[in-house]
Amino acid sequence: MATTFKTFSNNDIVSTRTLLHEAIPITGSIISGTYGKWPNEDNIKNYSHGMFQSVYDYPYLSSSSNHLFDITCGYSGQSVLSSSTNVQNSKKINLYNQMAQVLMGHSTSGTIKEFEIPGSKSPPTGDGDGTFTHNKMRECYFFNFSRLLVKDEIKKGSFSMTFMTGAAVEAPQNTHDGGTTAKRVFSDAGAQNNYFTNSPAGEYAILTASSAAPETAGGVNYTQDRVGGARTNYAGVGLVFYQAGVAVISSSLFWEHPEQRHHDYLTLAAANKIMIASYPPKSTFTFRDMFTGSVISGTTDGLRNRIADISFNNTTELNSTIYFCRAHHNEFNYSSNPTYLDGSKIRVKDSSLDQPVSYITTVGLYSADNELLAIAKLSEPLKKAPDNELTIRVRLDY
Amino acid sequence: MSYFKFGPNDIFYNQIKAYPKCEFLIYDGRTYYNNKPELTGNFGGNVLQMDSGHINLYELNVDRPAGELIYPFVVKDGTLHAFKTVTTNAFHNDFDYGDIISGSYPLTATITRERYASGQPRRQIESLRNALNYHKVLTPNYSYDFFDTEELNIINIPSIFYGSSIKKGSVDLKFYITGSLIGRATDKNKNGTLIEITGSQADTVGNIAGIVLYDEGFIILTSSYNLDPSTSHTEQYDPGGGAESPSWIWFGAGMQSTGSIVPSSTVISSSYSISFEGETYTPVITMHAHARKGMLNHSNNPTYIKSGSLYSFSTSSVRYVESRQVRVKNIVSSSHIGYSASFEKRTYISKIGLYDKDNNLIGIAKMATPVRKREKDQYTFRLKLDV
Repeated sequence: MATTFKTFSNNDIVSTRTLLHEAIPITGSIISGTYGKWPNEDNIKNYSHGMFQSVYDYPYLSSSSNHLFDITCGYSGQSVLSSSTNVQNSKKINLYNQMAQVLMGHSTSGTIKEFEIPGSKSPPTGDGDGTFTHNKMRECYFFNFSRLLVKDEIKKGSFSMTFMTGAAVEAPQNTHDGGTTAKRVFSDAGAQNNYFTNSPAGEYAILTASSAAPETAGGVNYTQDRVGGARTNYAGVGLVFYQAGVAVISSSLFWEHPEQRHHDYLTLAAANKIMIASYPPKSTFTFRDMFTGSVISGTTDGLRNRIADISFNNTTELNSTIYFCRAHHNEFNYSSNPTYLDGSKIRVKDSSLDQPVSYITTVGLYSADNELLAIAKLSEPLKKAPDNELTIRVRLDY
Repeated sequence: MSYFKFGPNDIFYNQIKAYPKCEFLIYDGRTYYNNKPELTGNFGGNVLQMDSGHINLYELNVDRPAGELIYPFVVKDGTLHAFKTVTTNAFHNDFDYGDIISGSYPLTATITRERYASGQPRRQIESLRNALNYHKVLTPNYSYDFFDTEELNIINIPSIFYGSSIKKGSVDLKFYITGSLIGRATDKNKNGTLIEITGSQADTVGNIAGIVLYDEGFIILTSSYNLDPSTSHTEQYDPGGGAESPSWIWFGAGMQSTGSIVPSSTVISSSYSISFEGETYTPVITMHAHARKGMLNHSNNPTYIKSGSLYSFSTSSVRYVESRQVRVKNIVSSSHIGYSASFEKRTYISKIGLYDKDNNLIGIAKMATPVRKREKDQYTFRLKLDV
């Protein structure tokens, strides 16, 4: 038990924050094709409500499996695809609205804000080829990643999604990692210094085309915006919300009927297009046909078949308080331990001229009322004598 | 939405004491934990990337190919944070500030065994000297003097299996030869002494097999008498020695060990079972949220008002006036067809929000089914939060 108490000064206490990360690779082989034949894998859980499907890393009936993410889709009531004759029309609109109000919030008039690439412009009347009329992301896929993977947040600049191209349904599925199929990579590269904060769900950034994949046709990036007849360097196809752990992929990712794109891009050869798989029959369907004519689980099945890889780093904040416990030269040189004395004499002194010596084994942290709150133990005792001074760094992690 | 403050008698701090049961079976160089089978994955190897008998801390890398594993990393900075596996020397010499320090998953643990021959140096026992002598008040069998030179067999149990302590009296050791029980030892007196309670010969029942350090997670076995003299069964329990008769000294031979490892297919007739219960403490906050008479009988939910009776308001620079014509929907069920029941304010409580002193929502408790709240009703909701 301590007999000497020292009060911390402001210079003795400092709070720190450390970011612990985990690298999370989710290969396409986990997402489809490994635990059964697509689209009926054992690690994919569909629900009777039919509003989303869950992807696990192992057959979900096993206690060893971990939930990776939920995937769903929806469109705005303003979308050209919206029609009362569509399959699950109201559910798709409700899902879009639910995601939009949580992630984008409401406008000053109280209406739900639609998803939008920040900085993109509404096209002027008669713009370009006249195929797109707005800059909203009105038809979207949503990836809600599990908190188990995201932890506190996704690390900015680390998120990427890779999609396979082409019309073949089976082949890409069997060559997720083989590299024989052309792939397109979309990432939040550069988001460390370029992200947005006007979402009620926290910070977010734009998913853009990466230069690592055959993104170009005729030497021009196919996802460039065409606003006012001139192509810009803008290439957003989705958003990633870091604290919420949600990725939103817009219809512009897909080669498709142009009217639902929020920006225009070049026409590509079939081999370079991202298409959506369908079963039965095994085929690739257009984005519009899937969103209007298929149930949500079928539409998400189709996209799962085209995912080659998802990867990101998560972040966990470790908050610590560091206490610098300073033992000056004239302090803590004696002990009140019963073994310190032998016959009324200090055991570690042979003569009265010897310096007193003690060994510090433990540091106790006390409240203002002298209540012992915590104990820090040293791995080995430290010798303390009048000719030395010690600063013991005690770190308390929360 | 109404806010209410918890009173001094509305919040209780308790802890739940639980006894998780653990069972290990050791056979032919393999350890099995709680009868979990080995599952081979689609990419080769075990699904959980570990041998059987282990426990996996996060269970993140489930059936993944090499090179696609989740792993943790930190960037070396002024906070001096690093993984426990990085030594202080390596932290300072092998990494510059800004470098990435990586760890690896899975982090696993299992029970292990150490055997010390008579007179063999034993630092592990020396480190337990204070713990052993501390327990001498329970029984003199804990005395360090019994363990400093004698032949010993130590089973180490990591605390992840038992929590704060192993439950006293719960340790149960069974020694089988070709499936037949030849010895069983338990701490029937709950004083830490393992006593043989079932054996192949009557005269060994009641003998001391060893001791258990409940807080520290060690089982130390010292008895070397033959557990099965009737069959003269012998096996090569020690890979460096000859055939030996089964005894508590050889209990667990084949499980993971840092010393001489018994290869598989060596000890094929003996199998062992270790079972015990742990003790875990889970802090619990219990909160009582009161819905008193005449309170919480109004809702801001749009469906609370009668259809067609929209909220409307008028504003100017000097006033904000809400419409007086908003009518609350009467949802009181009538007992008679074609007859509306008298109006009564009635709400349904579906969730309770917990707020901090700054009115930040920090928790939500949801009801299994909404609870009807009339003006004359009074409820207390009991909220429990494990922390």
